[in-house]
Amino acid sequence: MTGFALWQRQILTIVSLEWKKTLFAKRGLWVYALAFLPALLFGINAIRVQNQRDAQMEIQRAAPNAAAVTAAIQTGMSVDDVTRKLVDDKVPFTKFKRRKKFEFVRYSDGTNTWELMFVEGKLTEKRNRDEARLSDSIRAFAGAFQYFFLRLAVFFGCVGIFMNLFRGEMLDQSLHHYLLAPVKREVLMVGKYLAGLVATIAIFCTSAALQFALMLGAHSSREVNEYLAGEGWAHLVSYLGVTALGCVGYGSIFLAAGIIMKNPLIPATGILFWEGMNWFLPTMLKQLSIIYYLQALCPVVAPLSGDIPEPLKLLATTAAPIAAPIAVMGVFAAAGMVLTFASIYVRKLEINYGAD
Amino acid sequence: MATNEEIVFDNVSRFYGEVLGVNRVNLSIPPGITSLVGPNGSGKTTLMNLMTGLVRATRGSISVRGIRPDESEKLFRILGYCTQFDSFPRGYTGFQFVHASLMLQGWDAKVAEAKAWQAIEKVNLVEPAKRKVAAYSKGMRQRIRLAQAIAHQPQVLILDEPLNGLDPLVRSETIALFREQAERGAHVIVSSHVLHEVDMISDQVILLANGYVVAEGAIRGVREEISDRPHQIVIRCDKPSEMASKIFQFDHVVEARIHPDFQGILVKTTNSSQFHKLLNRLVMEGINIETIAPADDGVNSLYEYLIGDEGAQK
Amino acid sequence: MAVYKRTYTTYAGPLTPPRTRFLVLPRYCYERLFQSRFLTGFLVACFFFPLGCAGYIYLVNNLSVFTSMGVPAPEFLKIDSSFFRFLMNFQGAMAYILTALIGPSLIAPDLANNALPTYFSRPFSRTEYVIGKVSVLFILLSIITWVPGVLLFILQVSQAGGDWLSNNWFILRAVVLGQVAWILLLSLLSVALSAWVKWKVVAGALILGVFGIGAGLAGIINSILRTDYGAMIDLSRIMYTIWSDQLNIETSTGLEPFEAWLSFIAVCVICLLMLERKIRPKEIVR
Repeated sequence: MTGFALWQRQILTIVSLEWKKTLFAKRGLWVYALAFLPALLFGINAIRVQNQRDAQMEIQRAAPNAAAVTAAIQTGMSVDDVTRKLVDDKVPFTKFKRRKKFEFVRYSDGTNTWELMFVEGKLTEKRNRDEARLSDSIRAFAGAFQYFFLRLAVFFGCVGIFMNLFRGEMLDQSLHHYLLAPVKREVLMVGKYLAGLVATIAIFCTSAALQFALMLGAHSSREVNEYLAGEGWAHLVSYLGVTALGCVGYGSIFLAAGIIMKNPLIPATGILFWEGMNWFLPTMLKQLSIIYYLQALCPVVAPLSGDIPEPLKLLATTAAPIAAPIAVMGVFAAAGMVLTFASIYVRKLEINYGAD
Repeated sequence: MATNEEIVFDNVSRFYGEVLGVNRVNLSIPPGITSLVGPNGSGKTTLMNLMTGLVRATRGSISVRGIRPDESEKLFRILGYCTQFDSFPRGYTGFQFVHASLMLQGWDAKVAEAKAWQAIEKVNLVEPAKRKVAAYSKGMRQRIRLAQAIAHQPQVLILDEPLNGLDPLVRSETIALFREQAERGAHVIVSSHVLHEVDMISDQVILLANGYVVAEGAIRGVREEISDRPHQIVIRCDKPSEMASKIFQFDHVVEARIHPDFQGILVKTTNSSQFHKLLNRLVMEGINIETIAPADDGVNSLYEYLIGDEGAQK
Repeated sequence: MAVYKRTYTTYAGPLTPPRTRFLVLPRYCYERLFQSRFLTGFLVACFFFPLGCAGYIYLVNNLSVFTSMGVPAPEFLKIDSSFFRFLMNFQGAMAYILTALIGPSLIAPDLANNALPTYFSRPFSRTEYVIGKVSVLFILLSIITWVPGVLLFILQVSQAGGDWLSNNWFILRAVVLGQVAWILLLSLLSVALSAWVKWKVVAGALILGVFGIGAGLAGIINSILRTDYGAMIDLSRIMYTIWSDQLNIETSTGLEPFEAWLSFIAVCVICLLMLERKIRPKEIVR
């Protein structure tokens, strides 16, 4: 067997040897933790929202005037006035302080959950914290997906898995077993890359699907069915596709970093920084990052993170939206270029375990 | 003249930064068992890694039976390398380890399986082959690596310290395996510190010190080349004192030491051929000679003569 | 009966006192660390900002140029808690980068090379080993954080006089306590992570990841569960809250100072438990 058929068989062999090592390695447990933490949070939220809905039903029974109380509470009222009103109408509430001058009262009127903020004893703001709206959950999902899942979980997951494919084996002193096989180094690289992709896509897409399901789990079946009948399924497919593309893009970068650099952390830090500041870059520079294309494919625009200081939010530039096929091609093209570049180095790769 | 049957190093040097790995190596290794001998850090492993492309030459070129080391796809069809790295891919059983390498050769799974079992059988590891390599003893790990190296019946077998960690019985079985490989026309290149074993198994030796090749060839031939050290010859005879007095008349005899049992003599001579002619005369003069044997044409002596001082400094 | 010639005598010279024996580790670590030109250069760069601050303090306290022109000095040119918080933030960030550079090489190589049995076969305890390794970072980070902070405070007092000192003495406490807490957190975290994973490359990734992922996770906990308590796993926010509280500055990090201290102590305890588990004189055979 020679030529392409041989390479194909060798790639399949490498994938079958590597994907198990990556998926079932004890040292890779943290990747699972990272990937499934948002799912856990959405799960907890679903239970919490369900409990809250039960509590609201209870309030509707026990305090039928609760909705009227909300209408009666006006800004400028004192903490005592408000709490007295709630006690009078038998509406359960919680009160807590934040720092010296802030006080909060939280209660449910049977339909909505309200958070009242008092500054120096006077009501300044009434916030409706209704967790039961699907539109809020969809936005929360979009935020969690773009700020945490893509930028951190998929990013660091790819750092862990793809860097491990070459650099990890160097550290384990076991890479020579591959280099002593009649396999072209480029074929080895492609095989390992595909194995990494199988593992990361399996982990992160499963997590994304689970998060989506659990996010919907907090809502009534009527709402969910309406959403799925509309754009719900398309959203899910987009999120899964973006996750897979993230693995394709980041995977290629970190595989290359593991081959080229003795300490791949230096490029990882640099890329994290570059991807993180993507919002504040001019459009031309934005196009040199993976997150730019991924973000363009996300079906729901996530609000800018609340952690970003206001002056920096002003600097955030919005790039012109790009067509999905261009975004997909962009990621594949970037991955292809990076892998081509890495193949030059993999040909020269030497075994020098002592240096690590 | 290099042929496609030889392993050829043409003015090969390898530096690790400012540290010398090997320098200006010119070798032409024919098939058979060749031992690389030298103290730690002399460049044995570097030479093996250069042959297999695990490290690249800074200067010069290498050809392994006509194939360059960077042509991995061709090279490892004819070459098996049992390295000194005592590490394995995580979680593999002995069988999986050998089988995986055969699959990478492009064999069909069933053929690979049959070949893997054949190789495992050759190193007597059939029973533990289904266990994880992590649970193997050092000797078993050594043997499974050997099985992996020979599984595809390579024409060139390179073995870095292959006898380390093996018990005496397995050692002799392994040495027999090397012979078997050499007898079918393969190159078997072995590095070892155990000089008497090298002596036993090698058709030729390459002596290395500080990254330089200090000698190469058949052991006896190498000994003949060393003229600054007198040859030592042990003679078992009935009149060692008389013999000593007679041989001292000749300039090329520099020392004669009578054996404590008075049944033999150790002679040091700067001209062994003349000394052998002289022995014929002594026999005619009535001295009964039982045996004559060279006392310093083993690897041990070569090592001591050529590397001894440098080796001792390590 | 074999008779052996006695060719050795036991060492009878002075020994390092037990209390300062842990300092043997930093001595050798520094020797190795400062062989790196990059690291030495970075350490020098860490002093640029405090030097600039010293110039700024001098300038702010000598605004005769404005008065000579009959213009009142601009309001923003003043040295107060906010100035020192900015200094603490900047030097704290430098300390973090320095930790990411140095921290991974402290314990991971010892574990990877099975060196712990060698350490502990000497009169050297596990506690001394950990203190020794932590002190490598503690000493180095002190030089770039609270030491310049204290010097700048002294400079400000010398320029502004006793009134400023009586109104702002708490800044000195905040600089020392806040930065020592930060150094302790960074040192413990880096040695614990370095001990946990054994590979310095991975340990470095974890040091970076714990802060980045912690902050991200805090964000989504708050967003998904509609709470503020997610901030308790965001290490940089924890420290920012502590510093702001010490400097009497109001902030909206979503954390109360006691919650921040609680999280800080919890992280330190977890690190100590990790070290307790991993720093043992056993050999790992792979």
